[in-house]
Amino acid sequence: MGNAAVPPSVTQLIQTFSELPGIGPKTASRLAFFLLRGKSELALRLAESLQGLVENTRFCSVCFNVTEQDPCPICANTSRDHAVICVVEEPMDLLALEGTNQYDGVYHVLHGALSPLEGIFAEDLRIKELEARVGAGVVREVLLATNPTSEGDYTAAYLITRLKALPVRLTRLGRGLPVGGDLEYADAITLTRALESRQEL
Amino acid sequence: MYALSGMLQLQRMYIKSLSLRHFRTYMRLELDLPTGPILLMGANAQGKTSLLEAIAYLALGHSPLTHMDQQLLHWSAVESGMPFAQVRVEVVKRDRVETLEIALQHAHLTNGNTRLDKRIRVDNRAIRRSALSGHLNVVLFLPEDVQLVSGPPSGRRRHLDDLLSQVYPEYVDELSEYQTAISRRNALLRHLRDHGGDRRQLEPLEETLVRTGVTLTLFRRRVLALLSLHADRYHQELTGGAAWLHLEYQPNFDPQAPPQVDYQMGLRLRERPEVMVDVATLQNSYRKTLQQRRERAIQRGATLTGPHRDDVTFMSGGYDLGTYGSRGQQRTAVLALRLAELQWLEQETGESPVLLLDEVLAELDRTRRAYLLNLLGKVQQTILATTDAEMFPAEFREQALKLRVAGGIITPS
Ligand SMILES: [Zn+2]
Repeated sequence: MGNAAVPPSVTQLIQTFSELPGIGPKTASRLAFFLLRGKSELALRLAESLQGLVENTRFCSVCFNVTEQDPCPICANTSRDHAVICVVEEPMDLLALEGTNQYDGVYHVLHGALSPLEGIFAEDLRIKELEARVGAGVVREVLLATNPTSEGDYTAAYLITRLKALPVRLTRLGRGLPVGGDLEYADAITLTRALESRQEL
Repeated sequence: MYALSGMLQLQRMYIKSLSLRHFRTYMRLELDLPTGPILLMGANAQGKTSLLEAIAYLALGHSPLTHMDQQLLHWSAVESGMPFAQVRVEVVKRDRVETLEIALQHAHLTNGNTRLDKRIRVDNRAIRRSALSGHLNVVLFLPEDVQLVSGPPSGRRRHLDDLLSQVYPEYVDELSEYQTAISRRNALLRHLRDHGGDRRQLEPLEETLVRTGVTLTLFRRRVLALLSLHADRYHQELTGGAAWLHLEYQPNFDPQAPPQVDYQMGLRLRERPEVMVDVATLQNSYRKTLQQRRERAIQRGATLTGPHRDDVTFMSGGYDLGTYGSRGQQRTAVLALRLAELQWLEQETGESPVLLLDEVLAELDRTRRAYLLNLLGKVQQTILATTDAEMFPAEFREQALKLRVAGGIITPS
């Protein structure tokens, strides 16, 4: 995009857009010029939303879900079962499981899965924090709900080696989830069935 | 002749038609193929080998000549900016006709990059790579085959992998899982060496290696025992009973030594019966070795133990042909091996494979040439590429379909 006909502020926006997942250079240009054409109103609203996102949200200090208050509403809810922790890769997975209305325990968001080939190792995920939570004593069950992918299975297997010495029940989300898929794309019925058929490890 | 024992009940598969789009030198090719011998004649670099490669591509799921699918695309397809290639055959099986197809296509990724996508279809249904196993079996004779005896171990491992993958979908899956675990473990080992970290991350990967690795070695042990048996008989026939051949599996880890042959005085004594090793013993041994060598693996940033380091030696007359054999001895051994493959595929699948021979006759003396041609006359379908048709006896040429190959165009001759 080093075109002299494009002003630097536009070039910079295009560059920034293309750092987002799922956005290539073409889409990035299209979005940037779309914002220009729509006058300032949409662009300013977008700027405000982004500022709000950065200033008002943070990770919950207990479960690392995205939240505006700490602890997050789920962790603060005393009617939920705090002795059951469901471990997911991403906040989107948590949303998918909440969408079933069938789970009343709490969560732990790892923010990724182990993937040595992409340079993601245990220290890059919220695993130490999970271990500390489980080791604190109130937890009865850890439900491993990483994605049914090769990386998700590896992550779950690694969590088992780290947690197996602790006096908790370890379970894995049941079968029926499409292999290789992400939790966030599974429908509520499939997820409910997977929750009901969780397997003892 | 040995290969024909019991062949009466054998079903024989053959290729009824071949269709290529933008594959190597071929812009477009539609070719009907008969049973019996087919002679592809033409100068070098005109597309003879590419045609054999295309057929092998559908049997193996990858090219026997390159790791990079990109190289299979016709230059015009690359220049067009819309690269696309397709290989398709109709295979006549015992009770039906199947269409096999692999298409290569540039897919646009969401991040704006492109990637060469490979789509495999059987009867127009998309399938996983492993589900391609068993649909088309071939034995491929290449001029560089002698490298199987004298070249590096990686070639001998690939040979075993390709042969097993033609027949067993589960072998394809286990191999792919094993290879992923090796790459992951190696990346993790380098990370642990350079940045430190929790070594327990190795454990799940090692469990995958143990589970899949032992399956791979058991498959390899079994196929080699049978191949060795067949290859030995062919080798004796090819040498007029003068020399035996033994293919010896050299697993990289083994709790007990493999069955040894006593090579004293170049005479083969009776082979000891196969030592029975159970899966659990093998797995425990492999697991223990991986754990014991962890520190060294971290230093080296590589996995030092496992079937990715297996080897096979070609033993004859008391010595290793790879090191001490003459060029001629190595060629005879590899010919015996290819014929053993044919025999093994027939036994495993109940169907006779399609034979693909690239310039192989030129390397053989008159006796071995006659032996091979005699054998080929009895197989359902053989496709032979040659620069010099005169090498074949007139009688053979008469019964063969003769095709002239020039610049990626095929015409009857
Ligand atoms: Zn929380």
